[in-house]
Amino acid sequence: MIKTHEAWLATLMAGFMSKTENKQVLFDFSDILFRHFTWLENEIISLNESYSYDRDAIPIKVERLSDLLHDIIKRLDEIDLQLLSSPDKKLNARISSDIHYMCEVLRHMDDETVTAFSMERKFPGVELTQEATDALTLFLFEETYKEYELIMIYNYLKAHSNDAYMNRIFQILIDESFFHLKSFGDMGAKMGILAVPRIVMKELYQVEDVVQFLKDGIDEELAAKEECKRLSEAVAKDSSKLAKFFDFINHQENYHIALMTDALAHYAKATNG
Amino acid sequence: MDTQLIEHMMNPKNYGSLPGANAEGIGKNPDNGEKVAIYLRVETDEEEPYIGDIRFQAIGCTTTVVAGSMLTEEAKGLNLNGAYNLVDATMKLLEKLPPEDAACSEMVALAIKAAVDTYIKREEDPAYPAMTYHVANTCVPKEENEEGK
Repeated sequence: MIKTHEAWLATLMAGFMSKTENKQVLFDFSDILFRHFTWLENEIISLNESYSYDRDAIPIKVERLSDLLHDIIKRLDEIDLQLLSSPDKKLNARISSDIHYMCEVLRHMDDETVTAFSMERKFPGVELTQEATDALTLFLFEETYKEYELIMIYNYLKAHSNDAYMNRIFQILIDESFFHLKSFGDMGAKMGILAVPRIVMKELYQVEDVVQFLKDGIDEELAAKEECKRLSEAVAKDSSKLAKFFDFINHQENYHIALMTDALAHYAKATNG
Repeated sequence: MDTQLIEHMMNPKNYGSLPGANAEGIGKNPDNGEKVAIYLRVETDEEEPYIGDIRFQAIGCTTTVVAGSMLTEEAKGLNLNGAYNLVDATMKLLEKLPPEDAACSEMVALAIKAAVDTYIKREEDPAYPAMTYHVANTCVPKEENEEGK
């Protein structure tokens, strides 16, 4: 599961680096690897084994996309080998089949020059002031990590819940966070500051008090709305397109607040009988 | 924002847990729940203990991660007195900053101190739990803090 986690992130990062039709293929493959991750997690839970979302740092700083693709293929080959000793043979066969196809596609993918680590901090087609550039830089680092953190938390909660109503909410929140993560990762790559989100600490996703987590989550979403508003104002003078994007993200947080408010009400009802 | 700072944001040094760590310490901001965990592997050279390896993890903002990246790099290889001196020097530097800017680095410095203190305690009692120190500064600007009350 750790190796699948790493392969998922490495493939997602490769998607951010790509500027061609490879991008969508890499995003699709990273989505498949994330689903493998959840399948393997469910298997571990059903076996009553302990696990965590710990992983190694993932080196992604490459000059050519093919360098990272070779690394991903190596990771996938290692996962394929590990699957041999895993108990659910049907699941292993399904994952293995995906891996073989993905490796084949990755081997023949056209190479690209990577500019995602140039540190130029210039958004294509937009001239931002130094202040707006710094604000955008900080926002992208903070929020790329935050979205990854949220995906891991919602995923953990979902994996450990049998409540269909709550799981529907967690899944929507995971999908929403994926959209934001992809948007911000893409922007980071365009600005030459792409980075793998740091490892999430256990106590964040191994939530002990779901009610408090949801209440804090609503407060964080309200703070994120303010952050988007501030950033929209900071870039509006130089780019109405970027400003509108951050207004859009700001308004999307309303969905998350509504979902978490729903979850809170449902959870209170379920626990109070 | 200089290049070195961005480099630390993109690739924080020494981030993650440390297999074989023999001491841990925590720096915490009780106002907002942010915290830094430091993991140390203290080794001995000619009977002098020194920080052979160090890692950190953080629940906090990018500033905390950058401070963790920089300070753990500084701490690596220091003997225990050197580590205390690094903590003291950092705390002195932070006196010149507004509290909301100082809180993140203070959290890292205190976590290093807590980890070294834990190591020393464990010399006597190997089961001694990881120590936690709370920051004196707060990351929440005063006016925001007051509004929140």
